[in-house]
Amino acid sequence: MFDTVEEVQKRLLDQSYIAGKKIATVVYLASKLKKPVLVEGPAGVGKTELAKVVAAAVNRKLIRLQCYEGLDESKALYEWEYSKQLLYTQMLRDKIGEVIQGTKSLKEASERIAAQDDVFFSERFIVARPLLKAITSPEPVLLLIDEVDKSDPEFEAFLLEVLSDYTVSVPEVGTIQAKHIPLVFLTSNDAREMTDALKRRCLHLHIDFPSQEEEIRILELKVPGIGDRLVHDIVELVQRIRKLDLKKTPSISETLDWARALMVLNADALDVELVNDTMSVILKHQGDIAKAQSELNALLQKKAAERAADQPQAAPGTAPAAPAAPPAKKSVLH
Amino acid sequence: MEKKIVEFTNLLRKAGVRVSVAESLDAFNAIDEMPLEDRELFKDALRTTMVKRGDDIDTYDRLFDLFWSGFHDQLQSELKQALGGMPAGFDLERLLEQLRELLENMDIDLSELAKALLSMDSNALEKLIQQAGEASEVQNIRNMLQIGFFSRRMIEQMDMEGAGGELKALMERLREEGMDEDRLNELAELLKAVQEAARRAVRQFTERELDKQNHDYIERFRRESLLEKSFYNLTEEDLRRLREVVQRLAQKLKSVITMRRKRERRGKFDLKTTMRRNMGHGGVPFELVFKQRKKEKPKLVVLCDISSSVANVSRFFLQFIFSLQDCFTKVRSFVFVAELGEVSQLFRDRDIFDAIDLALDGGEVINPYTRSNFGMAFHVFWRDYLSAIDSRTTVVVIGDARNNYNDPRAWCLREVHSKAKNVIWINPEAPGAWGFGDSVMDKYLPFTDVAEECRNLKQLTRLVDKLVL
Repeated sequence: MFDTVEEVQKRLLDQSYIAGKKIATVVYLASKLKKPVLVEGPAGVGKTELAKVVAAAVNRKLIRLQCYEGLDESKALYEWEYSKQLLYTQMLRDKIGEVIQGTKSLKEASERIAAQDDVFFSERFIVARPLLKAITSPEPVLLLIDEVDKSDPEFEAFLLEVLSDYTVSVPEVGTIQAKHIPLVFLTSNDAREMTDALKRRCLHLHIDFPSQEEEIRILELKVPGIGDRLVHDIVELVQRIRKLDLKKTPSISETLDWARALMVLNADALDVELVNDTMSVILKHQGDIAKAQSELNALLQKKAAERAADQPQAAPGTAPAAPAAPPAKKSVLH
Repeated sequence: MEKKIVEFTNLLRKAGVRVSVAESLDAFNAIDEMPLEDRELFKDALRTTMVKRGDDIDTYDRLFDLFWSGFHDQLQSELKQALGGMPAGFDLERLLEQLRELLENMDIDLSELAKALLSMDSNALEKLIQQAGEASEVQNIRNMLQIGFFSRRMIEQMDMEGAGGELKALMERLREEGMDEDRLNELAELLKAVQEAARRAVRQFTERELDKQNHDYIERFRRESLLEKSFYNLTEEDLRRLREVVQRLAQKLKSVITMRRKRERRGKFDLKTTMRRNMGHGGVPFELVFKQRKKEKPKLVVLCDISSSVANVSRFFLQFIFSLQDCFTKVRSFVFVAELGEVSQLFRDRDIFDAIDLALDGGEVINPYTRSNFGMAFHVFWRDYLSAIDSRTTVVVIGDARNNYNDPRAWCLREVHSKAKNVIWINPEAPGAWGFGDSVMDKYLPFTDVAEECRNLKQLTRLVDKLVL
């Protein structure tokens, strides 16, 4: 699939995904060792995205299993199609009559039926759910088990067999072996610690928020045509906000949304007013907004001052300075 | 290489990182697939196969650096330092060249150590030091005081003295061979410095070994003792750290609780729904449906004594309760010393830690600088807030029941007890002290369902666990 770690990085980049060396190493090893990858990290750092772009990079179909509380075997693995079985029994009633024709005892009749094999518990009546689908797929696939931490602990037990041997056991049919070993990605938001048994079977990848440089690269890649100054402003601000103690930290996707929103508003740099108007794109709690406000004002003021120093001849430079004044007073009061 | 990895695995295990045999096998397989020259890749490959918990990554990073790097660099820098001590104009290359020529013509048998010292070969030296380390079982080092002992043992093991003697003899021979006096002096100086450097390197080697063995030990020790440390004597630093510990514990508790609730959910067979759901199968009951038992979340009323003797218990209890808010239908919190006031609003408006700090300072509803009077506080509660209690409410009182010889007015608590589902008393004093001196715990005891001593975080966690059930 991949020959070197660098190749992984390059091919993911072709899919507009910037993978650091850590990420690329794990993807490379997963393809070589044929082991599932457990991706952990805060919400919105691109865990699910990683699985998607890897699928695209290696040209495999993506089969996704979204986990939630109460997800069980019949939704994830397989299910018997009861109504179809019922229908078949009714339709085949005559046929059964034929089969047991001429038998003298009950025993003989049941033996005849037994000789017909387990018609009703055959693969014909199994509805394949994502896990079984990934195993039986005729072409190689990528299986994404999303937010596995949201599932119940018992559910992990079902996963174990699939993940370690790539088989699914259906009691009535037997063990179904994978035709092709799928690439497996599991993502988790750390809402619950996964069991050691599960972790042991996986490679582990922890993705954190990107560094300032990485985030700038991501923005430039994902929001083409964005101004250099705006990118730096946005990223610096978001990085600062992430350091605050917030209820919900802004994720990469929110940074992207914000950048796009500012693009639509034709902004080429941030100022206090603009930030206040669009803050709701990155912060989703009233309390968080209040907390971030003072931080933002301080930063923007500093920026404005720097810019004013950079280009003292710019005559309309007084405009951004005016709204910056009141927050200064505020911070004195604090 | 394999041996090194096994050693490293053991080290990780010792530091509290769980690495199974299967995982270290994965690590072997992984490095087979990787180019080993790239240190970062190697590090990532080992990590992804062996370390599976976010919390352990820090430990891993530190240990990796300690284990896989370092000593060679240290040794080299020591040797460089030894060279740096030489007078200006000293030309190492030329000296070594000359030596080599002379040595080739003479047939002297030098020990490996002497050779390594003479040629300043850091690789050979490292190997020798490592061997000596193994032979003198330096991995058994346990504390700082043993550094000297193990260093000496290693130096003896390497026979540093012997090598020194050999080198001296060599110098004599060189003099006889007619090496000029300046050169000889230079060489003597250099060899002295190199031997010093080697000794220092040995000491560093033992120190690193101690670091490895001891790593995390202190950390773990502190965490454990924090759990058992009495609330009465916490330093500022402890408070800050405890806050984090409580946060983690609360998180853990939360997931356990949701799990427990779920298990209870499967109730009686639900005939009606089963029939309806199986209409599609012609009424044949393929899918069985069970009644879901209603989740029972407790309602909480918390009365916190905020006088200094109990403040810390109240602090962490409140942190627990408000971190676990989803596990209760409603929480009302009151603080008291002599007066009593409600602080629920604080927790609605503010961030939890601000709210706790404020509440413990009286929460702007009561005067915290009075003498404790439980009787009065209960009386106020009975008079003004009895309506807050119904048959589903659990009342939690946090206090030492040291009443300063005031009237206990236990009948107030009796009234509360008769209305509430449960009354739980959390007392930071040991049961032996209840009822002695100005403690009126014995008067209140009959009107509580559970009364427990709680002096450290461990006990508190157990209590909260019981509470949320």
